[in-house]
Amino acid sequence: MSASAIQVTDLRKVYTVPEREAGLQAALRSLIRPRVREVQAVAGVSFQIAPGEIVGFLGPNGAGKTTTLKMLAGLLHPTSGEARVLGYVPHRRERAFLSQMTLVMGNRNQLQWDLPAADSFELQRAIYRIPPAEFRATRDAFIELMEVGSLISKPVRNLSLGERMKMEIIGALLHRPGLLFLDEPTIGLDVTMQRRIRNFIASYNQRYGATVMLTSHYMADVEALCRRVIVIHHGRVLYDGPLSGLVDRFATYRQISLSLSEPADLSAYGEVVANAGTRVTLRVPKAEISLLSARLLAEQSIADLTIEEPPIDDVIERVFATE
Amino acid sequence: MNALRLIYHYLRIGVMNELQYQINFWLQLLQSSVALAVGLVGLSLVFQHTSDLAGWSRAELLAVMGVHILIGGVVAALIQPNMLRLMEDVKDGTLDFALLKPVEAQLLVSVREIRLWRLVDLVIGVVLLVVALLQLGGRLSPQALLIFGVALLCGVIMIYSFWLMLTCVAFWIVRVDEILNLFEGLYAAGRWPVGIYPGWLRAILTFLVPVAFAITVPAEALTGRLEVTTLALALALAGGLFTLARIVWRIGLRHYAGASA
Repeated sequence: MSASAIQVTDLRKVYTVPEREAGLQAALRSLIRPRVREVQAVAGVSFQIAPGEIVGFLGPNGAGKTTTLKMLAGLLHPTSGEARVLGYVPHRRERAFLSQMTLVMGNRNQLQWDLPAADSFELQRAIYRIPPAEFRATRDAFIELMEVGSLISKPVRNLSLGERMKMEIIGALLHRPGLLFLDEPTIGLDVTMQRRIRNFIASYNQRYGATVMLTSHYMADVEALCRRVIVIHHGRVLYDGPLSGLVDRFATYRQISLSLSEPADLSAYGEVVANAGTRVTLRVPKAEISLLSARLLAEQSIADLTIEEPPIDDVIERVFATE
Repeated sequence: MNALRLIYHYLRIGVMNELQYQINFWLQLLQSSVALAVGLVGLSLVFQHTSDLAGWSRAELLAVMGVHILIGGVVAALIQPNMLRLMEDVKDGTLDFALLKPVEAQLLVSVREIRLWRLVDLVIGVVLLVVALLQLGGRLSPQALLIFGVALLCGVIMIYSFWLMLTCVAFWIVRVDEILNLFEGLYAAGRWPVGIYPGWLRAILTFLVPVAFAITVPAEALTGRLEVTTLALALALAGGLFTLARIVWRIGLRHYAGASA
């Protein structure tokens, strides 16, 4: 096995999509001569992930995240480039490879809808040929960790969205894969549920040394789990490095939070992000931060002043908006 | 062996699923009874005017009907629901989950669903066959029974292969619901021995949609009119169609791109 769990070199995926104008006439015309257009979903992506790492994979909708994950999971053939995952070429879909990994998609469900989750777990046991003793131990440990003991014998259709997602993740990990692809595992869940699932992923990673690649729109997930992030946009890697470096690199501004003795108009100093009477937040360019704070302190009557890094989702949003 | 274990586990899940909807059993029983009654009335109407149809006696035609209902039951209970699910999965991109499992994907997509109550037709088919045999007065030698079993198995394999190929069209054209109706229509033609149809239709029913081989041949085996060459041809066709279906499936899979990018 190679030293990295995932090794990707200049990976590309081009989709051919039918193109058609609106209207009946265009629809008829496309029957005879369909027009197609090529879309580069992934346009030459390279990175490496070491065993045991948890990496956040970030990007706006349509950036190529899911396409990349699917290529790494062996569901899509790359148009060109090379991917090696756990030492295997994913799209050959060798049994040994498939038994060592899992893909969880937050918006998809693979449990038996009308049956209790316990029955779906049995099915997983048969599919992955998990020895009975190991299966029971893993299942019970996961159930305890997720705190879903009493729900295990309820039909899946009667579970809440969050409970279902917990079961989904348990089912997907029963064979104790060493590699996890998690595509929006916490989508649509409330904060408590998100936290519980996050904790579960973290402890799974610790206990089994599993490699995790996670996409999420919730920066809280990423901040809690990932020390490293890969940001992808328009099918290319925009940033690959520590989460903290992302702010340094892309945040060209800082936020100044002020407590004023009396309300005042501060729009002359910078962009007012929030204004609640005597509490004001300003967004100012990074380079002017010391000058502006000095001016503020000199010219206004200020009770308190703090300089903050902007919230990370803010930074990311700006990165995507400008590119 | 693992294939059998997998089939067992999916069958178990399928049966548990179906047991939740027991009312369907009674509905199915009603539907099957009506279909059977219509079939029997049709048969007796025909034989009010003639004593044989293209060389088939009334009891022999009952056997054809038995095989038709029996295989129809297998199709409706096992083949069709799996193929419909496959179509849905291709459309929605949920085939991903099946492809991620460390088991043979074609096997997996062929055993995931069962409509338990449609097996009522299997029972009705067997009853019809027994009645037909009694009317024919002949005792069935173990050898003939074996040949019947082989012919029946060939028939099921042919229809499964045909269905799989039809379903694989979904990999290219995402909406293929209409294809279902096509099959139903042609399968209905199998209620009568294919020998009664004009040549062009017989050709279609034999080679394009293998209804002839799937239904008429087993019935021939049961009524002692099957020739060795026909049986050999059925075996060859079953093997050939299965191989072809597997190739089409492989190509289709390569084409599969999932619904979301």
